[in-house]
Amino acid sequence: MHRFMMGLARAMAMVGGVVLTALIVITCVSVLGRTLNTMLHSGLSEALLGGFAKTLLDTGIGPILGDFELVEAGIAFTIFAFLPLCQITGGHASVDIFTSRFPVRVNRFITLVGEVLFALVLALIAWRLNAGMQSKMLYGETTFLLQFPIWWAYAASFASACVAAFVSVYVAIMRLGEFVTNRELIVQEGAEH
Amino acid sequence: MTNLEIGLTSFPVLLLMIFLRIPIGLSMFLVGLGGLYMVTGGTNMALAKLKTETYSTFSSYSLSIVPMFILMGHFATLGGMSQALFKAAEAFLGHRRGGVAMASVGACAGFGSICGSSLATAATMSQVALPELRRYGYSGGFSTATLAAGGTLGILIPPSVILVIYAILTEQNIAKLFLAAFVPGILAAIGYMITISIYVRMHPDSAGVRPAMPMAERFRALAEVWPVLLVFLAVVGGIYAGVFTPTEGAAVGAFGTGLIAFLNGGLTKDTLLGSFTATAKNTAMIFFIVLGAGFYNGFLALTQVPQELSNYVVGLGYSPWAILAIILALYLVFGCLMDSLSMILLTIPIFFPIISTLDFGLTMEEAAIWFGIIVLIVVEVGLITPPVGMNLFVINSMDRLTPMVETYKAVMYFVASDIVRVVILVAFPGITLFLLRIFH
Repeated sequence: MHRFMMGLARAMAMVGGVVLTALIVITCVSVLGRTLNTMLHSGLSEALLGGFAKTLLDTGIGPILGDFELVEAGIAFTIFAFLPLCQITGGHASVDIFTSRFPVRVNRFITLVGEVLFALVLALIAWRLNAGMQSKMLYGETTFLLQFPIWWAYAASFASACVAAFVSVYVAIMRLGEFVTNRELIVQEGAEH
Repeated sequence: MTNLEIGLTSFPVLLLMIFLRIPIGLSMFLVGLGGLYMVTGGTNMALAKLKTETYSTFSSYSLSIVPMFILMGHFATLGGMSQALFKAAEAFLGHRRGGVAMASVGACAGFGSICGSSLATAATMSQVALPELRRYGYSGGFSTATLAAGGTLGILIPPSVILVIYAILTEQNIAKLFLAAFVPGILAAIGYMITISIYVRMHPDSAGVRPAMPMAERFRALAEVWPVLLVFLAVVGGIYAGVFTPTEGAAVGAFGTGLIAFLNGGLTKDTLLGSFTATAKNTAMIFFIVLGAGFYNGFLALTQVPQELSNYVVGLGYSPWAILAIILALYLVFGCLMDSLSMILLTIPIFFPIISTLDFGLTMEEAAIWFGIIVLIVVEVGLITPPVGMNLFVINSMDRLTPMVETYKAVMYFVASDIVRVVILVAFPGITLFLLRIFH
């Protein structure tokens, strides 16, 4: 069970990583295209390349249309896809200098409360994201340049948010098990900053 | 309860939750949500806000810099740049008294110019520098303290993840903040080197000596660091010259470091997946704090607490410098308890309105940038302040032989150097601002 959930969280992180990489590449290509476009429009390239500069420009060298719209849609999905791994590894930042003096049992209880609240909040977020998606669908909102429906981006984020909520519920149940049996079921990793 | 009272009550509630180890982002989110419910007298407003706010926070174009910079830092590590930087710094400084420690600080500064996080810089440089320091007879506590302090250069020298967040919170220009952080960052590195030289004179047996390297070999080592310089110039220079937006700069930097890592053979399928995992954890953590802070600050703004508090403080009629000193002292204390990012997100919406109404003889923009840099330094001091500084734990865990107490003792010298620097930067805002004034 744990192996499956961990695998799921890792797989989501990988998909997020691939999308992030794709956004990086898209942005770089767009920057390159814009730079070349500016250079080809300059007087110097006209002198050096003559009509060839025009030919090159006609092939459509330039920035990618609406690149930042792709980044916005993609990065939202990426962040949601990164959440499950952070949940299952206990990677969220917290202050433990006071609670470290408490007995183990009390600490298990605090962890349980934190994870249950997290599961509730992530479920709430997924639910509201779905509501947001419904209204974007209803009004047929599209992005400014690329004209793709905004609900597509919401749908991708919603799918990830559901996985995050699912993994978070699992973690909360495991923490309940830890509190009841008073032994460690999930190995906790420290947060990196 | 009036709105103002609800707002004021939320502080102790939030702090209690945070100190009871409820994750910081979650605490802010919940208190924000609960507060919104009490102020508006129902769930409608909170639920309506949730429909779009999560998505709009996570899809922010300016915030997309954060995962890109984090990934860039991992690629930089894989590309062997930490190794090259340390070797070059060591070739030039290693033969001096305390020279290998100085080289570690120099290499941290170099790595900070392509990495936006403090703990990542400290951890990466420690892998390279700790074994070398021990090999040349540097004492354990002195070595770990040097690297913990050196790590804080990672956040100060641009690019810096926290400065990006500060810029978004206070609506300042990211490029200008990066430029302003540059001189204080260099001063920090020099300050640490002076600290090292004082320390080895006071504790002569804490550092070994090493013969000098021939000049030719020094320059050969220096030639190895060109990728770092190239990436730094392309990213920070490009952003500053207006060739591209900060987000585009981060993308170019991530692509460039990734390419260098690939060419050096450091980027394989396994290490790439490892970078994704580490980036995923850090990014999710940061964005959840940003989301929680957004909710909490939205609620606070409704209660008008920041505005009233600012009016009250200004109405007291104290000197602006005294108020600044109190705020910085608060940061110093809280910086020991919390990570820098949470600190900034939690406090800037409250303190920034106060600072922007006080008269320091600077323009609004200058005061905002100057304050941002100083706050960043002060919260970073918290990272290396015993007994809870987070950098200290990270580095100490990499050197099992050194007891924590040894690190504590040695790091106090670096904390002292930090405090001297903060006093200087506060007294002379021109040091932070002069590059900005020249270029504008």
